[in-house]
Amino acid sequence: MSLVKINIGPVHPSTHGLLRLVVTLDGDTIVNVEPHVGFLHRGVEKLAENRMYMQIPPFIEKCDYVAKTAMDEAYVATVEAAMGIEPNERAQYERVILLELQRIASHLLWLGAMLNDLGHFFSVFMWTFADRDKVLKLLEEATGQRMFYVNMRLGGLRQEFPKDFEYHVLDVLAYLEKRINEYESFIENSSLFKERMYKVGVLSRDDAINLGVSGPVLRASGVNFDVRKDKPYYVYKKLNFKPIVLYNGDNFSRYKVRILEIKESIRLIREAFKQMPDGNATGMPIKLINPAPKNKVVRVSREGPRGEIMFYLVADEQRPYRLAMRTPAFINLAALNHIAKGNKFANLFPIIGSLDLVMADVDK
Amino acid sequence: MIIDRKDLIDTISSFKKKGFSYLVKILGIDYIDYISVLYILRNLDSDEEIEIEVHLNQNDLWVPTIINIFKGADWYERELYEMFGIEIKGRKVRKLLLEKFSENIYPLRKSFKWGTK
Amino acid sequence: MIMKDFITAKQEFDKLVEESLKKYKPKVPVVFTKLSEVTKAITSNMITWSRKNSLWPLQFGLACCAMELLDFGASRIDAERKGFLVFRATPRQSDVMISAGWITKSMAPEVKRLYEQMSRPRYVVAYGECSVSGGPWYESYNIIEGIDQIVPVDVYVSGCPPRPESLFDALLKLQEKVGGKIDN
Repeated sequence: MSLVKINIGPVHPSTHGLLRLVVTLDGDTIVNVEPHVGFLHRGVEKLAENRMYMQIPPFIEKCDYVAKTAMDEAYVATVEAAMGIEPNERAQYERVILLELQRIASHLLWLGAMLNDLGHFFSVFMWTFADRDKVLKLLEEATGQRMFYVNMRLGGLRQEFPKDFEYHVLDVLAYLEKRINEYESFIENSSLFKERMYKVGVLSRDDAINLGVSGPVLRASGVNFDVRKDKPYYVYKKLNFKPIVLYNGDNFSRYKVRILEIKESIRLIREAFKQMPDGNATGMPIKLINPAPKNKVVRVSREGPRGEIMFYLVADEQRPYRLAMRTPAFINLAALNHIAKGNKFANLFPIIGSLDLVMADVDK
Repeated sequence: MIIDRKDLIDTISSFKKKGFSYLVKILGIDYIDYISVLYILRNLDSDEEIEIEVHLNQNDLWVPTIINIFKGADWYERELYEMFGIEIKGRKVRKLLLEKFSENIYPLRKSFKWGTK
Repeated sequence: MIMKDFITAKQEFDKLVEESLKKYKPKVPVVFTKLSEVTKAITSNMITWSRKNSLWPLQFGLACCAMELLDFGASRIDAERKGFLVFRATPRQSDVMISAGWITKSMAPEVKRLYEQMSRPRYVVAYGECSVSGGPWYESYNIIEGIDQIVPVDVYVSGCPPRPESLFDALLKLQEKVGGKIDN
């Protein structure tokens, strides 16, 4: 019995970014997987100590370039907590609508990219990209930019929603519901999909808590923890939010949790439009922001599409003294060695695809 | 809460038995006289969080490893070693994000100016 | 010595050819050349035209500008209709390297190695601010300021991120550089 080491290099069409894996094999089964990361590290935490508070959001948004509003909103909420500002009720409803639209767009891109790895060579990818384009057009109408909308201000948004925005959104949501049911029906009827996803890459409940993973990876292993329910923020209590939990812990549960989350987001947006009060949702212009109190320590967590985002801020007067970030893909990738032991080598790429990694998240 | 370095492993094990079984993050902050290392733990049943803080002098930078208690502390400790220069006693630690960077330069300390290459 | 004999023999042969041409005037003008020059004159236009209309890019999206590259290949702004048909994964089968994303010190030797594995003629397009000049992270300790410190660049596209329509315009200008006027 001799062991073979294989290098899966940084530039590879299936690793969703720059990730280098050194895999130790015994015949066809995996013995050890060792990830080497750091090909995209640019020092965001050090950069944040040299820029003022409202100059930082563009750098934070480029950390997770698939779901940009989630990182932006988490940072602005941290600065609001340090300065003691709270947004009014209409601004909270509008922020929730933008966050849930961003979650739908991020999960549609994940679906196309994962089915690419399983063997559908770019066919389902083209369909989900066309659907994602419709949602991106809605976000462009609300914020004015195609990618990297730096849209959050202290106390609200940069500008109000335009006229007739509600009718455009409800049209697109009616179309998306039919498409998601179509995707579910033809993907789950295929027997090849079932053989590659059932009971492959199992993560048990105790291991998931000990390793510290978060997001859909944690909820597919039977742990009922979601930041939107356990530490509620904004108006999620009034919208009757319920988290989605499955109990098997394999690839198929991680896939199913995300599909059901898209349907839950569609329901949340419809409720939010019915309950939204009248008012003004624009935030403070940049010139009127007062300096923060010295040596104040704040900690804020939010739920992004990939997991839990946490910011820890030690405030100085005009710029942060220390900004520490906990990004979700960093610790999800550290669990790969534990999940992939004992599986066959051909099942390595569906496991990586079901963890939903974005490499700029891992190297901050 | 602020504790000494020699009580660290006992305190964390006792908190884990009480129900704080989820490790959120291990941080380091460089105040200029000392460096402080923070451990944030969370209880999944009652949704409480607790911060455990250890102060280290600049001459004497080392921390014992907690990988036997939490398996997820592996990558956090490697990042702490390469960014601040804090040694981890009890296991061999390899650099994580700055593999081709020069030795003995620790970017997140306050003595490293932003703009040097 | 041998070269001198060769040169004088060639000159005597040329004189013989000229005298015989004066005696027997041909009805059509006659030119003496090599066979390889004949084929080059007939086919060089054809080769340049076919090369410029089928440039295949290398799949090299590193960071956020890769999202716009995926949009460029998807169905709304179609890359196939002008010849950029398939995004190949290996550098030995591709013509253009579209570099989208920031380059760090760990990644620079890999970029150089991929560029040297591409077969000639090869072109490089720098897409996005981070490849042009380092982008918003230009002062960082781990970033190289622009890809033109490693490989030679043909076309620069600026923006953060540039719209996919401007990448289309840049690739049409690259076609002009390869072989003359743009074909419609």
